[in-house]
Order: sequence, then structure tokens, then C-alpha cells
Amino acid sequence: MAIVVIMPKQGQSVESCIITDSKKKGDIVAKGDILFTYETDKASFEEVSPEDGVILECLYKEGDEVPVLNDMMVIGQPGEDYIALLGEPAPTQEPSGTAESNVQPVLAQIDETSHVPGTQAGDKLVFVSPRASNLAEKEALDPTRLAGSGPNGRVIEKDVLAVLESRPDMTPLARKMAAAEGLQPQAQGTGLAGTARAIDLKPVASAVSADDYEDKKLSNMRKLIAKAMYTSLQNSAQLTHHLGADARRIQELRKKVKKAMDAGTLTTNVTLNDMVCFAVIKALKQYPNVNSHFLGDNMRLFNKVHLGLAVDTDRGLMVPVVRKADDMSIIELANQFKEIANACRKGGIAPELLSSEAATFTVSNLGNYGVEIFTPVINLPQSAILGVNTIVPRPKDLGDGVYGFVPYIGLSLTYDHRALDGGEATRFLKQIAVEIENLELDIF
Amino acid sequence: MYDLLIIGGGPAGYVAAERAGHKGLNVVLFEKKSMGGVCLNEGCIPTKTLLYSAKTYHNALHGDKYGVYGDNIRFDFSKITARKDKVVKKLVAGVESKMKVNHVTVVKGEAMIQERGANGLEIKCDDKTYFGANLLVCTGSEAFLPPIPGLAEAGDVILTNREILALNEQPASLVIIGGGVIGMEFASFYNSLGTKVTVVEMLPEILGGLDFEISAMLRDMYTKKGLEFNLSAKVVRIEGNKVIFEKDGRTESVEGEKILVSVGRRAVTRGFGLENLNVELNRVGIKVDEKMRTNVPGVFAAGDVTGFSLLAHTASREGEVVVNNLTGRNDIMRYDAIPGVVYTNPEVAGVGLTEETAKAKGLAYRIAKLPMAFSGRFIAENEGGNGLCKVLVGEKYGEVLGVHMLGNPCSEMIYGACMAIEQEMTLEKMQEVVFPHPTVSEIFKETLFALQ
Repeated sequence: MAIVVIMPKQGQSVESCIITDSKKKGDIVAKGDILFTYETDKASFEEVSPEDGVILECLYKEGDEVPVLNDMMVIGQPGEDYIALLGEPAPTQEPSGTAESNVQPVLAQIDETSHVPGTQAGDKLVFVSPRASNLAEKEALDPTRLAGSGPNGRVIEKDVLAVLESRPDMTPLARKMAAAEGLQPQAQGTGLAGTARAIDLKPVASAVSADDYEDKKLSNMRKLIAKAMYTSLQNSAQLTHHLGADARRIQELRKKVKKAMDAGTLTTNVTLNDMVCFAVIKALKQYPNVNSHFLGDNMRLFNKVHLGLAVDTDRGLMVPVVRKADDMSIIELANQFKEIANACRKGGIAPELLSSEAATFTVSNLGNYGVEIFTPVINLPQSAILGVNTIVPRPKDLGDGVYGFVPYIGLSLTYDHRALDGGEATRFLKQIAVEIENLELDIF
Repeated sequence: MYDLLIIGGGPAGYVAAERAGHKGLNVVLFEKKSMGGVCLNEGCIPTKTLLYSAKTYHNALHGDKYGVYGDNIRFDFSKITARKDKVVKKLVAGVESKMKVNHVTVVKGEAMIQERGANGLEIKCDDKTYFGANLLVCTGSEAFLPPIPGLAEAGDVILTNREILALNEQPASLVIIGGGVIGMEFASFYNSLGTKVTVVEMLPEILGGLDFEISAMLRDMYTKKGLEFNLSAKVVRIEGNKVIFEKDGRTESVEGEKILVSVGRRAVTRGFGLENLNVELNRVGIKVDEKMRTNVPGVFAAGDVTGFSLLAHTASREGEVVVNNLTGRNDIMRYDAIPGVVYTNPEVAGVGLTEETAKAKGLAYRIAKLPMAFSGRFIAENEGGNGLCKVLVGEKYGEVLGVHMLGNPCSEMIYGACMAIEQEMTLEKMQEVVFPHPTVSEIFKETLFALQ
């Protein structure tokens, strides 16, 4: 019984494909042989024969553009009458006419070496062309472990050939063993003229054995953080300036706060972080270019300061936003911070407050942990982020040739050089220091 | 200044010289006796020549099995040995001409290695000094004479492979101490010629290291031919023509006109200045790595002087490994596909693992055995004869692990099995190989199919 092979539909938007290589009328084909290769605007594919037989009719040739689901060729036995088959509506019972059977999706763990930049690590569908798959099987290779150079990382024959070229010839035993046990030969075989023997095989990932680790699925939260951080570093021009601010003023204020709380005249615990953030807001008001989103073609300068605060939780890093922080008093700010941080830790934070678009600037404080310098990563599309470090004593000229050790709080400003230049960023950072050193709180 | 200095013109030395010369290296080879070494002069070649005379005589005597009759069949011992000398002479000349063709300088004399000087490695021979960048030591081995009381006093009665080949008259009786390959080949020769031969072997079976079952079959065949074996017999004393040995707690003795001592061979590591370079030795000979390198840079060793394998074909290959590495081709020595052959009548040949070694290694294997009678050609040419072919393959992947045969002419067909093992061929691949019909080699194919 003759079979009509149609041009498969590769994706919803594809209307026609171009034939790049094709068998001819009269060619004898075996099941699994490639009948023709064709291209969409994005990728190239191979169509394999569903049966043994002869190509009784081939309706298109190389270079032709064929509408999808159109009859392409007829396969059958010599002399069979196939005319009746043609011209009918696209057959639905076609065993190999669907897109799914054309490419063989294999679920595989992508290892580091084959990770394609810009794609998400972890479980991923690896597409292997039939040609590559056949060759890989014959040569005892696992094609899903190769870095695909085809469209969308598809593993094509060329990728398999490249590996084979760099690999020594293998004895029949070595081939069998490699295929059965997932082994690969070392670069130099010890057999005849460098042929790899069974003793030359080693596990593909020899660095670690399966007993040494446990694979853990990423939580959605982790995936989001991973994507956001990776995207940030890939898609912006970040750099960090470090500067210290004399912390005597805020330490003195902090003492006062403690005293006032002990005396009962103050009910809100205003922390050093609250004070630094308060100073940052003041500085941001003077540098509106920093309180911004960089959007590629334009900068969005905000009238209000929506301050993001990095919070460490059991589930991972969260950056909730205090909206209109510049309208708040230090007490209101301190209370807001406590509230959103608790909400994050408990999991009750409103999702819209976690979006990086919601904040205009972010503060990440690692001072509590004793970190002295770090380079925070910007939450795009924001233009900058401030890292707050621990307080360390530093020598300072106190005037009249007197030097003393003065507590300094470290400030690390990461900014997107696409949005800001070094001078402005430095002046902004310096302004924060000035605000910290001269902070006035009307709460006592 | 030579690229390569070679001491010893045996199968390691002359093959290395030939290959190196062919590749354009400037080579000098020192040989104190005759080109070809023990193999050509006192081993492989003369014994095979003698054994062929013996086989021809044997076939003539037993032609009636094939319907062929002859009268007054006899041999002339002096003609047999004269032919042997002629063959050796011809082959020595052949090796010498190979040296000439490949521009190898051959120096006849005793080489003496000097301490390494400013001009590299240094060898003195007959007051002349030769300098070289590399040195290949292939001084071979010599028969080991164990410290048996009375051995030294027995004088001319005691023979090694060298003296027995120089005999001008056939001894009426021969005692052979050591039933290894050398002992059994001389036993075969003299047994065929009608000498009364007795083998005294210390181990429970002859041909130690070969397939146990095949060794036992061969021993049975020779017992039927009148050869006497004393196994698990420890020689304690020699009294003139008498060999006194202990067996099963009893002391017995056997008398022979001549006594052949063939209990093993020792590497020759002294007498040519090796110590001047501080070359490291081990228990058996010069210590080498898989590229035949010694501990001293630029100094290599190949052949019997390394003390293991002790086979001419191993030695030649080792020499080639040295030359390949010197001429920029990475090459290493592999010992798992080296064939072993015993040129008795019938012959024994084997390569790879025996059942005994596979078991000792704890390998999972499958085995098939077929009598040689499964080969039509064998039946046609070996009236009333018997033999065996054994093939071992890996349990899981079916790779050929070992092939062992008893029956003529297995020495000529074992190389097929060597190729299979060297290439780690699997059963299903070997089964696709076409063997010529009718040949005895088909027994190998039949046995492979018996493994299904």
C-alpha cells in the first residue's frame, strides 16, 4: 500500500517550508532513511521514511517552497497505482507526518559544558536530529550530552562528527562497553595505533561519582532569582564603587534611640539600616537620575522614591518595596520596613510589591553579617543598588595633627553604566555619606 | 655521533636496527657472536629445522596410514645437523644483508658501555669509541643452570640448548630436566628419532603457563609414543649419567647418555658495563616501562634482557616500540595478545587468557571446546590424530579472551586469534569473518559458533 508523505507543519506560524535536499523519484528507500530535509525561517529539519519502498512520485524538488500539509512524495512498491492517493485532503492517519515524530525530544540533564548561555539551566528538552541520533547510536555516544550547534541548540550530525573526530578509534569491545555503560575513551588509546581498548574507557563525567552528590529540583522562587540575577549581569553594564561614611553620627543616634526606648519615650526601634535608608532617600531626591529605570531607549525618572529592601528569607532573597518612601518620616519608614520584612518571611507579601519594576532603587544591607565590601547585583530595570556594609574603625585626621580611629560604614554602589556615568554615581554615593554623617532625626 | 647504539643482534636488536635504519636513523649494532642471537643460532630456527626432519621421518615411517609404503626408511643424523647448520647460515646471512640494506653499521665484538660523557652515551668496542644519543640494550638471556649437587661435576653429560644443538651423534638415551617449551621440543625431536627420552618436571604438569588440559593431552600423546614423564619430581642430585629426584616422597633415579637442563633462562645484565649508567634492574632483568624505557634517559631495553616473556616475537615488537617512539610515533608495548607456540608434533599454540588465568583473575567468561576432528582438513591429514580448540570469550560482551589449540598446523593459524584479541573483537564480529575451506583454521570459526 503506497503512502503519501506530506510536508509537516513545524509550529503554528509556519505556512511553508523550503526543500534543501531530497530523494528523487525512483530512489529506493529503507525505513528510517532521510527522504528530504527542509527549512523554516528558524530551523532545519529532516523527514524520514516511514516504510521500506520506492519513491513512486516526488512532487517538489530542492529549492521549492512547499506549503505545509501538502503532499510531498509517494512511497510504495514499484508498479503500485498511487494516483488516487494524490490530491486528497491532507491525510490524518499519516504515521510520520506530524511534527512530533520528526524530531526526537529527549529529556536530559544538561551538563555545564553544553549549557547554552541565555538558556535556563536544569531540565531541558534536547532535540537530536535523526541523522545525528543514528550516528551517535552507532558510535556509542550519548547525543543528549553534546552541545548542539543546530537551530535552538538542536544536536545535528555535525556535532556528533566533531566529537568522533577528536576521539580515538575504538575496538568492538570498547564500543559495546561504552554504549552499555555510558563510558567514553580517553584521548589516547593503548591499543593498535592508538585505538581505544576497554581499559581506556572512563565515565563521561569522571570528576564526580553519583555517590558524591544529590540532585535537587529548583524551587520556582530559586528559578526566578536565578533568571533575574543572570539576566541582570548579562544585560547591563554594572560596576561598583566603594566609599566609607563616618558612622559616629548614626551610632550616636542609635544610642539615643535605645535610651529613648528604654525610657519609654520612643516605641519604634529605629535601626542603623533605617537611618541609612533615610539618608539614601534624601540623597536620591537630590539625584533624580539615580532614582530611575533604564529602559533601553529612554530613562524613566521617578517623582517618588519607591525603595526596595533586600530581605533574606528561608525561601530565598526577596526584595519588597516601600512605596513613596520619600513621603515618610523616619518612624513611618522604620515601621514599614519591619512590616514588609515580616510579611516576606511569613510569606504574606503582596506579589506586586516584589516586582523589580515596583522599586526605583534598592538597598541591600549585609552589615549585620560583618561583610566589609561586596558588589550587589542590580534589579533591572532599576539603574542602581546600594550595598551597605559593616562598620569598621578607620584612622582619620581629627585636625591639629591628631589621628584617631573612627567608625566607618562601608557603602557599595553598583550602578548601570548605561544609565549613569562614574562622576554622577560617585557624587550620589558621596551625598549618601554626607547625609549619613549629618543625619538629623526629630524623634527625641 | 649515532642516533642509536644497539648492543645485541638478536630478534630485538636486529629488528630495531632494521626499522631504525629504514627510518633514516644512524645506527650502530654490536654483536659479539653471530647475527640473529639465540633465536637464530641456538633456538627457534635450528630446533625447527631439526623438528622438521624428525616430522618427515615420522611421516615416512607411518605412511602406511595413508596407504603409502616405503622400505628401509632411515635417517642420517649428521645430514640432519648439517642441514640445520646450512639453514642457520643462510638466515644469518639474510639478517646481515638486511643490516646492509638499511645502512646499519654492524660492529663484531664485545661492547662495553662507558660512563656518560660530554658527547652523550659512549660505547667502547675493540679500542674504538662510539657515541650515541640513545642506547638500546638487548643482550638477551642464557640458559640457567640450577645449583644441583653433582651438576658441575657431570661435565660433558650436561647439555643446555646450545650444546645439544651442537651434538654430532644421536644419544641413545636422554634425560631432560624441565618439561617446558625447550625441553618438550627436544624431547619431541629425539623421541621421533628413537632416543629413549625421560622428562623430569618439578611442576605437576608439563608446559607450565599453557592451557592445562591441552598440556595434559599432549603429554598423553607422547606417553603413547614412548616418552617417559616424571611430574612433581624434584631433582636432588646428579651422579654422572644419573639424575636422582624425589617424587611422592620416594627417591628415584633415571639414567641418560646425555642430560639436558632446560629449567629456565636468565637475563644477561653483566659483562658489558650496564652498571656504569646505573640502569635499574629488577628480580628478572632490566626494569622497563611500557615504552621499553629504563630509568636512565635515552637508554632502552628490549627482548630477553628484560626477563619476562622471553619470546623472539615479543623481543622484535619491543624493539619496534623503541624505534617508533624515537622516530616520533607514540607506541606502547602490550603483552595480552602475544602468542605462545610449542613446535612439538602435534603443535600447541595459544594466545590470551587460559581458563586457569581467567579464573584466577575472577573474570566472567564463557568457553567452548571442539575436537580438531570437527575440521575436515584435519581429518584428511591426520589419520588417527586428535587435537583440541578452546575459545574463551567474555560473559557480558563476548570479546575474545583466549584461544588455545592442539593439532597441526596451529602454529600457523594462531595469529588470527592474536588479531582478534589485539583488536578486542567480539563474538558476533568474528563470526562474520570468512575462513578458507577446507583448512584446519576453520576449527576456530566452528568453536566460535559453538559459543552461541
